[in-house]
Amino acid sequence: MLYFILRRAVFAVVLLLAVSLCTYVLFSALPSDPAALTCGKNCTTEVIERNRVRLGYDKPILEQYGLFMEGIVKGRTYGPGEAAVHCPAPALGYSFKRHQCVTALISRSLPVTISVSVGAFVLWMLLGVGLGVLAALKRGRWQDRVATGFSVIGISLPTFFVALLAVLIFTVWWPVLDFPSYTGILANPWKWAKALVLPWSTLAVVSASTYVRMTRNGVIEVMSEEFVRLGLAKGVRRPVLIVKYVLRAALVPIVTIAGLDFAALLGGAVITESVFNLPGVGKLAIEAVVDSDLPVLVATTLVAAAFIVLANAVVDVCYGFLDPRVREG
Amino acid sequence: MTDTPLLRVSDLCVSFRTPDGVVRAVDSVSFDVHAGETVGIVGESGSGKSVTANALMRLNFGAQVSTTGSILLDGVDLGSLSEEEMRLRRGRDIAMVFQDPLSALNPFYSVGDQVAEAYRVHHPKARRPEVRDVVVESLGRVGIPEPIKRMQSFPHEFSGGMRQRIVIAMALVNSPRLLIADEPTTALDVTVQAQILELIQRIQQESGTAVLLITHDLGVIAETTERVIVMYGGRVVEEASVESVFEQPTHPYTLGLLGSVRSLDLAGRGSLRAIPGSPPSLIHLPTGCAFRPRCRFELGEGSPCGTTVPTLSVAGHSRSACHLDVTERERLIAGVDG
Amino acid sequence: MKKHSAALGVLVGGAIALAACGGTSKSSDVGTTTTVGSASDSGHVLAFAEETGGVSATNEGIVEGGTLNILDYNSGASNLDPQRIYTGADLALLGSTVLRTLTSYKMAPGKDGTSLVADLATDTGTASADAKTWTFTLRDGITFEDGSPITCADIQYGVSRTWAHDVTADDGPLYATQYLDVPEDYPGPFTATAEQEAAFSKGVECRDPKTIVFHLKLSVSDFNYTVSLLAFGPVPKAADTGDKYTLRPMSSGPFKIETYDEGKALVMVRNDKWSQASDPVRTPHLDRIVWHFGLAEAIIDERMIADQGDDQAAITYAGLASQSLQTVFSGDQYADRRTDGYNGFVSYTIMNLKTVNCLAIRKAIWLAIDREAIRTAVGGPFTGTFASGFINPRLAVDFAEATLPEGLNADGTANTEAAKALMAQAKDDPKCASAYKLATETGLRFDHGASEAWTKVISIWIDSLKAVGIKLIDNPIEPKDLFAAFSSNPGDMMRGGWAPDWNNASTVIPPLFIKDGGSAYGNFWDDPDYPGFVERVNAALVEVDRAKQASMWKALNQWLVDQVWSIPGSYTRAQFLVGSKVRNAYNWYPCGWYAVGNIGLAA
Repeated sequence: MLYFILRRAVFAVVLLLAVSLCTYVLFSALPSDPAALTCGKNCTTEVIERNRVRLGYDKPILEQYGLFMEGIVKGRTYGPGEAAVHCPAPALGYSFKRHQCVTALISRSLPVTISVSVGAFVLWMLLGVGLGVLAALKRGRWQDRVATGFSVIGISLPTFFVALLAVLIFTVWWPVLDFPSYTGILANPWKWAKALVLPWSTLAVVSASTYVRMTRNGVIEVMSEEFVRLGLAKGVRRPVLIVKYVLRAALVPIVTIAGLDFAALLGGAVITESVFNLPGVGKLAIEAVVDSDLPVLVATTLVAAAFIVLANAVVDVCYGFLDPRVREG
Repeated sequence: MTDTPLLRVSDLCVSFRTPDGVVRAVDSVSFDVHAGETVGIVGESGSGKSVTANALMRLNFGAQVSTTGSILLDGVDLGSLSEEEMRLRRGRDIAMVFQDPLSALNPFYSVGDQVAEAYRVHHPKARRPEVRDVVVESLGRVGIPEPIKRMQSFPHEFSGGMRQRIVIAMALVNSPRLLIADEPTTALDVTVQAQILELIQRIQQESGTAVLLITHDLGVIAETTERVIVMYGGRVVEEASVESVFEQPTHPYTLGLLGSVRSLDLAGRGSLRAIPGSPPSLIHLPTGCAFRPRCRFELGEGSPCGTTVPTLSVAGHSRSACHLDVTERERLIAGVDG
Repeated sequence: MKKHSAALGVLVGGAIALAACGGTSKSSDVGTTTTVGSASDSGHVLAFAEETGGVSATNEGIVEGGTLNILDYNSGASNLDPQRIYTGADLALLGSTVLRTLTSYKMAPGKDGTSLVADLATDTGTASADAKTWTFTLRDGITFEDGSPITCADIQYGVSRTWAHDVTADDGPLYATQYLDVPEDYPGPFTATAEQEAAFSKGVECRDPKTIVFHLKLSVSDFNYTVSLLAFGPVPKAADTGDKYTLRPMSSGPFKIETYDEGKALVMVRNDKWSQASDPVRTPHLDRIVWHFGLAEAIIDERMIADQGDDQAAITYAGLASQSLQTVFSGDQYADRRTDGYNGFVSYTIMNLKTVNCLAIRKAIWLAIDREAIRTAVGGPFTGTFASGFINPRLAVDFAEATLPEGLNADGTANTEAAKALMAQAKDDPKCASAYKLATETGLRFDHGASEAWTKVISIWIDSLKAVGIKLIDNPIEPKDLFAAFSSNPGDMMRGGWAPDWNNASTVIPPLFIKDGGSAYGNFWDDPDYPGFVERVNAALVEVDRAKQASMWKALNQWLVDQVWSIPGSYTRAQFLVGSKVRNAYNWYPCGWYAVGNIGLAA
């Protein structure tokens, strides 16, 4: 087992390195001139050339990449002479648009995204799996129809629509909640939760729908398995049967998919964060797109990719724990 | 054997409502099983034998199922019990062994846990050491080597034969009065089959459990059972001691079944004779005798074979459901290559 | 000296003013003000009645104290570093709160607000006879937020930072490098050697701690307006944090920055080291200003309309989106909270005088375009008024309604008949032969920025000109490549936009029409009248008498309109809505946004 974990870990690291190189090269290969994207009102060729040198875009791509990787390990200094700024390791770059070390920007945004993701995840799993189980157990009856109907609506509604509607309804037209903004959990837990209720709910409504369907179908399938019948034949009580036999089997694939979905969310729920004014990684990324802030873009892409790679590795390892049949040796 | 049978099934009917129509899986089935007896139910796929078995444990449920008739276990009508009362009997008074042990065992829990569960369900106050001892003893009894070590293993880590032993262990852990074995050897190798059957027999002798063995394999019937019930098209067509059935079948279907089994005694002589035609659709059963379309002794146009369902009546040492006169039957059957 | 609008010149409402601040000491008429839609004599362009905000622009009911909220959808402030600020809104905000300069403008509504006044200096500066040497004396009692006095060295240091391109990234105006007599190779204070610093100090000289002397390379008669740009403001060397200074500059004004939670909010509080006695320009009322970032655009307008809770004490950084205009401007419900005014931009179509060297054809084009249809397609009258020249009405002193060509319809519709007549005239004129062939057969190539708005209107352009026999070839160009394309490969017609850097037409006519002026593209120098034009422009540039200078600009504007070297497009407009408790919030003409530091709140 240990060998398996070790192997997965090494593979994950190799994959991350490959992703970082790809990301870097990809961004450098963009048709638009990154130096030209950075100039403000004075945009002469002179200024563009000066910016190109200042930002290091005049160096060949692989050298830029090398410096970038070096920065992650050793930290890096940006800017000339007395005005130099040092970003400590792991330095993911310096955002000249926002005048901050990118690592600092991301480490500031991450708690926000984590707050949003964890809460939304818990809510949508409870809602999705709960409704799915209900629909499966009451198959064909009104509970099933309501749950499935809700799921269809949830899948059809685009996130931004739900989000905007939620904000307009609950903070402007019928103001029961404060305007969305983020407070740290340590600063004021009550305020933190109150501010996140809407984003959590929005994400839950949108994401739970897929899980309602998946759970419903999974449970129905498992319920017709032989071992469930055997459990019944042993005299096991129905609630125990449902949890120990049906759910235990049906949830394995769902949990693994949920793990990956959660990891994707950690990369930043762009739309939700933007509409609800939550300064998380997703909002950081979209602002970087608008501002053509390449260092931030590269870094957020890498962070998102890292989460996915990590989640894949974790899920792979966990699957062995979850399903005994898959264990090696 | 005592006078009141352990199990008395009377006029059991089970039908399923499907989008294509009503499936009459079990039609007016009646039989008894006495304490300590080994009874076999034999028939083709679709003859209704598994549904009958499930009906005994009330495992057929759902809005589409309709079950009528009476099932008396130790004099108690199982059909009249509440779900909770029935649940208490499952695994304690009646237990079941399924066909495919790999899919019958829960892949997520160790075999020790599953056997323990079978015990704990009916002994909720049992303490851990006691349960553990029971599990070890059960596994040992069915022939699992090193039970203490192996009780922590998972079902997929065992061979087919071992798995079936574990299923049997689970079924017997509470010393049920009746064990229903639904095709217990069908999924196993021939050599393993023998071992399992031998195990069932041994345990039955040791504990006095009645066994209802359901199979399509006449060889299994011959080896293990005392009495045989032959089912066709959801109905019982013949019922007799195992010797009578094999030596002197009194139903054309039984005869056909035997004819399609190549006896080792008839070395090299003749060929396997299959019964022409195929089993009836349980949705659209033919009127009258269900076997009529395939029966070589059919009485022909206008006879009761085509209009009336035959009922079980005594014929020699057995009871069978056929419109033919008994003596006529004996003569015809004897005339056929036997 | 370049500043362009890369977008379509007619900006949809919501644009941020990009003008710097400028003005004169005399007020004058903006011109006839009639409401949009009413007719006037042919030849007179309609101005419109600016909505100045009703009660919200006055002091009615104002109380001292309170917190003002600024709602902004941007992710943060673009820059707070004085040498790096260049947008009108930022100049207005920071200049009225945190960053003082040598000179400033009177903080008053309307034309009054275009008067140049002394801020850190004792007066608006003394010029040498040739306007190449400018001297300012610093006041007493001026300090930074830590109590340290502001001296000439601080101004010198601040100005020198404009040369540090590595750090400032050329975000701010570059006039210092263009005007001041400083060696070309001066690299800025972060990397300069002692010798280079010494050379710099000769160009920006500190005679004594209170006297600063600017030595210019050329004559600039309105240099005292140039130094109103925050880029000429003081920075204490000890507090300079390089690239990071733009997150937390030192204050010299009535407010200072308390916190800047990037991406979230910037909070300003009162600077207790600032004294009213040393500052004749600013009259602060507020205790606190909170600039909120990252709000969803769609939500901001809804909140301002709903006007609840803290939003009653709020203003918005950007103007109203076009979909909100219907609600806000119907009826009188919002009359005391809404403004509709010029945002400082003029759009125009540059004519290539090398290829379209025929006045009749240029006039014909102007008359033929259905300007009304174009304006409707991009959002209607709220987006702007038809321009009568190149000087925006907010340049109050230099502005005058020019007399427009005969036949130009006041309501903006095409005058196809008159245009055809002009074309017929051109046909017969041998001097117009090549231009005529180009226009009618080959086709005129029309270079402009590619955008969604343009795809809507280009067909109107093509059809309008087709109706008079002119062929138009559409050539959309990526906005960021636009001006590079104009200089290297000019089309026959090129669309651009401009807003002045300070309130003097010297930041309009020379940049747009003088060769190498910054945004001059139409090969005007090929026109035989060019040398005479240049002489007149140069004369205006050295004219120290402001009133005289203004009349020269007006005359030059009229001449340009008559020559149709460029076809004026629109004076663009922006609309804003403020909270119901906001007071003293008016369109400060020099910058096109509020002098936020002077805003107050009613109870």
